[in-house]
Amino acid sequence: MASINNSNLAYKSVGELAPLLESGELSPVDLTQSSLDRIAQLQSTLNAFLEVWEESALEDARVAEAEIAAGRYLGPLHGIPVGLKDLIDVAGAKTTGGSRVLANNMATFDATVVAKLRSAGAIFMGKLNLVEFALGFTGLNSHTGDVKNPWNNERITAGSSSGSAAAVTAGMLPVSLGSDTGGSIRMPAALCGIAGLKPTYGRVSRAGVLDLSWSMDHVGPMARTTQDCALMMNVLAGHDSRDPASSAQPVPDFTEDLNGGLNGLKIGVPTDYFFDDFVDPEIGASVHASIELMSANGAEVVELSMPWVDKGRAINLGVLLPEAVSVHEKMLAKNAEQYTPAVRSRIQAGFNIPAIDYIRAKRARLWFNQQMATSMKRIDVLITPSVPIQTPMIAECTPSNGNPGGGGEIPMFTGVFDVTGQPSHSIPCGYTEDGMPIGMMITGHPFDEKTVLRVGHAYEQLTDWQQRPPMDIPAPN
Amino acid sequence: MTSTDTPEEFSERAGEHELEISTEDAADIGGFGVIVAAAYSTIREIDTTGFEPAEIFVPTPSQRESG
Repeated sequence: MASINNSNLAYKSVGELAPLLESGELSPVDLTQSSLDRIAQLQSTLNAFLEVWEESALEDARVAEAEIAAGRYLGPLHGIPVGLKDLIDVAGAKTTGGSRVLANNMATFDATVVAKLRSAGAIFMGKLNLVEFALGFTGLNSHTGDVKNPWNNERITAGSSSGSAAAVTAGMLPVSLGSDTGGSIRMPAALCGIAGLKPTYGRVSRAGVLDLSWSMDHVGPMARTTQDCALMMNVLAGHDSRDPASSAQPVPDFTEDLNGGLNGLKIGVPTDYFFDDFVDPEIGASVHASIELMSANGAEVVELSMPWVDKGRAINLGVLLPEAVSVHEKMLAKNAEQYTPAVRSRIQAGFNIPAIDYIRAKRARLWFNQQMATSMKRIDVLITPSVPIQTPMIAECTPSNGNPGGGGEIPMFTGVFDVTGQPSHSIPCGYTEDGMPIGMMITGHPFDEKTVLRVGHAYEQLTDWQQRPPMDIPAPN
Repeated sequence: MTSTDTPEEFSERAGEHELEISTEDAADIGGFGVIVAAAYSTIREIDTTGFEPAEIFVPTPSQRESG
């Protein structure tokens, strides 16, 4: 125990913490207190949390400590602090969606993902900030306050899982939950320099999670490493009759192939869109260098022509917006003034979309998915940048009357894989000259998260990008 | 929706669909409305012949109670 103190727990992964907890070398109470200390140190700077549950977290940690001491270790998440994006229900707690509209919305039941994490012994630390109702990609929220990027506090985190990303990046938590409809796990993971997995559509239950666009909503883990995402998936995945889109596909051990390396894998690299001229040169160069590194370590690189793929973001928005309008129609009619102006205007932009346009978008989605499935036949994973532009300043992205704010390019790549529902994972692959993280996206075949995670883990073993502490926040006390 | 709608036209047509939106809010949609219009313009250009949505109507099984 002598070598373990609060200051060197902050940036440890679940993979590192779990053996210490299991062996009794580290107490869940000490780990939880360390997390609370870090939250207290940084919350006023980063604004990652909407609620911190100090008392219940410490109580749960004491229970975990007693269980582990009694030989009832539940697995790698037992005693691990976890944060929840505040659109996920926890019985007896508020689910606000980051909105004044739901300021007093008390949840009666645990979301399925919460119940699963609870059964695995996770410690819930509180609710994390987000874009109001997850409808936005910059991470800004004029009512709950903007979340600051731990690498540069004047820059956005991206969103909508802004608090989930900032908290993990800053060492407030080892893992968190986010949701992804146009990239809301992977965009902030990329801009904050952590790992974020959007599982296959249907793989992880959304029961007890606020809807944004039911045919594209996903819930998934955000963590320091790919291995931690796999450990989280082992708890989160599985069929749930409470979610009509939940899949009955068999659930594997997501950690099983993590150490399989890159030999024998075919990595697809698109020759269209994802590396076009609008992509920031530093980002393109970092991802290409990463592909070369993976090639040098056993992966076979296959160039893929995908001249149709630039339609993906339009289809993503074309399906998302009518569904979001449908979700919000009645609430907006009653509470329009309580929405943030930015999100209200985004929803209202979906008013008057003719039914035929929504049907066209749905048909286009089928067409798009067939193109993608055909292209993926020759490869195991697709490698692309996660986000095409460098991290914008908060001031650049703040909407004003009639101006939606900058950063509109951020979801251009991630949204493609919400349309197809494929598993898609963002991990850090370098830094810009300004010292901001660059994200690389690894996308696989439906229900083959294992290969996606295998590639991510193999890449992380070749680099140290995910091990660097963020620049713009103080070190742990 | 078209990008050439005035705020008044937009607000009026929303009302026809029983959706409430003030003229002021319609004016605020601004740039995002243009992005939305561009997305549907892209979608309309795609030939989706033969790609009918797979969902079909499935009747709910009888819930008639005995007796």
